[in-house]
Order: sequence, then C-alpha cells, then structure tokens
Amino acid sequence: MKIGKVISVVLATVVMFIVSGCSSSPKPLYNYGDYSESYYGTKKEATTESALEYQKALEYCISGADGSRSGRVPPGMYANLGYLYLKAGKSDKAIENFTKEKTVYPEATFFMDKMINKVEVAEDKNDK
Amino acid sequence: MISKKSISYIAALTLAFILSGCGATYVTKGSEFPKMYEEQPKSLLILPPMNESTDAEAKDYYMTTAEMPFALMGYYTFPVEMVTDIMKQEGVYDTEILYNLPMNKFHEYFGADAVLMTRIKKWDVSYMVIASTLTVSIEAKIISTKTSQELWKYVGTVKVDLSGGNSGGGLAGLVASAIATAINTAAADYVTYAHQANARIISTLPAGPYSEIYMQDQGVELIDQTPER
Repeated sequence: MKIGKVISVVLATVVMFIVSGCSSSPKPLYNYGDYSESYYGTKKEATTESALEYQKALEYCISGADGSRSGRVPPGMYANLGYLYLKAGKSDKAIENFTKEKTVYPEATFFMDKMINKVEVAEDKNDK
Repeated sequence: MISKKSISYIAALTLAFILSGCGATYVTKGSEFPKMYEEQPKSLLILPPMNESTDAEAKDYYMTTAEMPFALMGYYTFPVEMVTDIMKQEGVYDTEILYNLPMNKFHEYFGADAVLMTRIKKWDVSYMVIASTLTVSIEAKIISTKTSQELWKYVGTVKVDLSGGNSGGGLAGLVASAIATAINTAAADYVTYAHQANARIISTLPAGPYSEIYMQDQGVELIDQTPER
C-alpha cells in the first residue's frame, strides 16, 4: 500500500511540474518595455508619431532598469538614445549618452569612443 | 479503485515519455557548440539579414526583432539602429558586400568579438483556395571576428495555419473560408512569428557573460538539427 502512495505522490509532482512549467518565472534580465514594437513601428511607418514612440520606449528602457533582474539598462539603449540626440543636433546630450553606454558596458568602449571622437571633430569644424 | 500495478504502469509510461521526448535525437549545447565555450565571445554585432524571401521589407522588419533575444541571453549587442545607419553610410549595407568582408574588419571598426549573421529563408504565405500557411524561417549563425570560425548555428521555423476553420461543405462554405483566409492573412503579423522563430533559435545558444548560467549550460539538451546521413 505504501509504495502505491509514494508512486501517486511522485506522479502528482511530475504532472504538476509538466502543467505548471515555469509559472513562477523570475523577473526578466532587462526591461525592454515596448522597445521592439516601437522600433518596428518606425520601420513600418516613418512618422513623427512613431519616432516619438520609439524615443519614449528607449527612455523607458533606461528609467525602468531598476525593476529588472540585472538592474542594468539593456545593451545599446543609451547608445540608441544618444544617436537620436545626435541626429537632432544635440551633440552634448549625444556624448553624454554614449559615455553612459560604455560605463555600463565596457564592451562598447571602443565603438563609443570612436563615435564621441567623431562628434567632437564635427563640433570643432562647426565652431570655426 | 485503481490498482497499484496500473499506477506504476502509468508512472513508468509518463517517465518514459518525458525522457524520450517525441522521438527526436538530442545533443547538448556543449557537444554541439564547443567553440562558443572555447572562444567565449562577449559582444555580438548584429548584421542586417540576408533576405532570401520574396518580401523586400522582411530585411528591415526582421532587424527590429533580433537585438532583444541575444541581449537577454547575456551578450552585449551593439545598438542595431546606429550600426545599420553607419553601414549604410559606409556603403556596405548591401549584404552581398557585407557578408563577404573579412571578419576582422568588424573587430577593427566596432570592436566586436563576433558577428551575428542571419538569413531569412522564408517569410511568406502560401495561398491555397481553402487553406493558406504562413511560414517564417530564420537561419542564424555566430562567426568569430578573430578566427573567422563559425561558433554557433541554428535554424528556427514557424508555420502557421491561417485558414479560419472550414465551416461545412457546399459552395457557400468554400467562399466563406476563402474570405476568412484572406482576412486572416492580411491581419497576420510576420513580426510576431519572427519573434517566435527567434525564441526557438535562441534556446539553443550557450548563455553569454551577463547571464547567471554563463559557462554552466554545457549539459543543456537541444534537438539535433544535423541532416540525416
């Protein structure tokens, strides 16, 4: 009789495991919010509205970072935002965000330094 | 009253089912992609996909889905929009040119450890009178910028039956389901299925340095995709 009980318990556990899957899923490594959807929106229809949605999504990636498992801003988001500022002619804010990108992710240092350098060279030319 | 015998029988059957899967052959991440564990690339440069589908827009659309899954697996992914624009300015956005560049160029220009190359094999709907099927099929591989070796490769395919359920026979039924098919196809969002295809692909990738299981997932099993010999 005892064995039967043990087997039923094991069976019940196995079934529960299969059914539940990962119901108690942990927080995501990063909070992306609507990043992918809004980025797709800009490709589907390039309007001022879709551009604004995209920028908002990037800003959310940054402000919502604390709630994620890593507590970090997702890779590339500071850079993407900096790039928007660069295109809008706001060099200071662009450099600020490129610097943040490499502070969080040392892997980006080489690329970000290159971009910062380019922005500064362009700035110098404009000043003269 | 269920007998002991039948319970143990069910238990054995359940266990066998779990262990066997559905007849597919399994390999481990460690045995399948040893070079990922040897080289340990930290950063991935996502290149624009090579588009083999009939849909010209698939390239731009797919690019918006590739960044997140690879970052969430623990890799540093370079900012896709910015990298794309730079490639356009440098005149290498055309994948014919891009995919033939020496791999170390990507290290020299971006400082990337590896590049992600993707190929859109299918991104279309095959129309038939009664049923149509949407297919998104993506091949992804990671190539080292240091050794030019292929470190990882996988194909993810998602097929969706778009027919809205055939409701009865007769000519009226045929017309109705043809309309349903057209409507479903128009509303079908390829990008949603591209995300699903990515999810299948990504489950086979060894975890990256920002993941908690970095260098600890060699034993994870995946379905063997090697063509039968």
